[in-house]
Amino acid sequence: MAQPTVLVKNLKKYFSAKGGPVKAVDGVNLEVYPGEIFGFLGPNGAGKTTTLRMLTTLIPPDSGEAIVAGFDVRKSQDEVRRHIGYVSQLGGSDRPATGTENLILQGQLYGMSAAEAKARAKELIKLLDLSEFADRIVYTFSGGQRRRLDVALGLMNRPKVLFLDEPTTGLDPQNRTNLWDQIKKLKNQGATIFMTTHYLEEADVLSDRLAIIDYGKIVAEGTPETLKKEMAFDCITLGIADHEKNAPKLIEFFKKEKFIREVTGDDGHLRLCVQDGPTAMPQILRLLDNQKIQMLTISMSRPTLDDVFLKKTGHSLRDTEANVGGQG
Amino acid sequence: MKLFTDIGLLFIRKMKETLRNPIFIIISLITPILYLALFSPLLKKLSGSPAFGNGNVLDIFVPGLLVITAFLQGLFVGYVMIDEVKNGVLERLRVTPTSRFALLAGRVLRDLVNTTVIVIFFVLIALPFGFHLHFYGFLVLLVLIWLLLITTSSFGNALGVILGDEDRLSPIVQGINLPILLLSGMLLPMELAPKWLQVVAHFNPVYYVVEAGRLLTAGHIWEPKVGYAFLFMVPLTILVLAWATRAFNREIS
Repeated sequence: MAQPTVLVKNLKKYFSAKGGPVKAVDGVNLEVYPGEIFGFLGPNGAGKTTTLRMLTTLIPPDSGEAIVAGFDVRKSQDEVRRHIGYVSQLGGSDRPATGTENLILQGQLYGMSAAEAKARAKELIKLLDLSEFADRIVYTFSGGQRRRLDVALGLMNRPKVLFLDEPTTGLDPQNRTNLWDQIKKLKNQGATIFMTTHYLEEADVLSDRLAIIDYGKIVAEGTPETLKKEMAFDCITLGIADHEKNAPKLIEFFKKEKFIREVTGDDGHLRLCVQDGPTAMPQILRLLDNQKIQMLTISMSRPTLDDVFLKKTGHSLRDTEANVGGQG
Repeated sequence: MKLFTDIGLLFIRKMKETLRNPIFIIISLITPILYLALFSPLLKKLSGSPAFGNGNVLDIFVPGLLVITAFLQGLFVGYVMIDEVKNGVLERLRVTPTSRFALLAGRVLRDLVNTTVIVIFFVLIALPFGFHLHFYGFLVLLVLIWLLLITTSSFGNALGVILGDEDRLSPIVQGINLPILLLSGMLLPMELAPKWLQVVAHFNPVYYVVEAGRLLTAGHIWEPKVGYAFLFMVPLTILVLAWATRAFNREIS
């Protein structure tokens, strides 16, 4: 495998707070390889943004090692800065200026000449479909337009890796999908992207590989597919006649079957979880038929990243989202 | 050199902002006119009193107003800074290989230009009202005014970065603003004050600049009080600049 673009070893950052230090990032290890989108999934407050801020030289790590684009974030801040792009959750574009002015200034701050910066700005305006509004003042942009400009700013210096911090937070569904398309387009052009998100679907749709972080520690890592396959089962939900009476008997019965990993019957339905749903479904139907119990409904659900998260952390990502305030 | 290029680029960025939205400059220009039209007539009868001497009261009043203009131009820049912090502009710039000093200096330089324009405009308005100005003395005063502006603008910007929130900035800025103004002898000379107040005023750097300003516009350049003003302002400016540069490099959580 190629040299990783981002290599993180045992990275730590504690913040002091009332009642003892908060272990914001507590021994994170990860690698991001050229040309991939690496998703960093976790609830708010899990340590995603803190990790990202260390990798982008905004805050120094307490301990551990982070090599980004070939340079140590602690020793060679300027070199790291030269070779990365960063799009913060807050955006970053300067609102009293036009889109094009923003881009050109960004290029010049990376040491480009005015002509080079103009040419590069033109490329990005085309790539991210900004041409309709690029010469307007950013104040007049919609949320989605502004976010695309923010991404373009992060790409001005042709970074070896682009860091996106919660790129679609605050966007409406249409703009979110649009930005996803733009991010996929960047990947197809060979960009390496490190993206934090607390949206399961976003991590699932975009990431080639992802790591799940909770309370400052990485709890799982892999491609979305393998993670879901390894960690979670397909679940078949059955509605049966006279549930109250039949369910206990059926649960006992299904528990004896080896291919069924989990059986529950709490909420008026039987839930049977299996490794491979599509092949298990006919078997279950046959077994049920032998029991002479009438089946009313049947459905199957594939595992989601939330199931993976639940399995690994003991809580659901959706629950934590509502409960935990503040930034990650 | 990259440092100067960066300062220039960031200065132009802010300057464009001013030119696009000149309302703030216009307001800044109106303020001294209001003082001149609505306050200075109150002073007319004080001419001949010990603190004002026999000249035009404007000769005492205008230099103080010039100094205060510079003071206020710098002090309140924190609000704009906070807006940029909240919109991620500062964070984005900090991830580029731009020197932290340039991030600050570009902004301060714009304030310096704005203030210079306002000060000169104000002097030009005051002259027909009978204000006397010694040209070389005024140039020396301009240097003092620049030092003061660099200090307050750096301070205001750094506060904005550190606090990151208008609600936390307001009490500090307002808390500093009034005592410094009152203790500077800008509206009425400190000679009118009781002894204790005069003693307190000596701890206020702006007081020295105001005092020096009155001497300088009258053409008294080689006065000890002018020396004191520089003696206070030069180290203060360097200190605040260094502190503010550090603020631009600190962790923002």
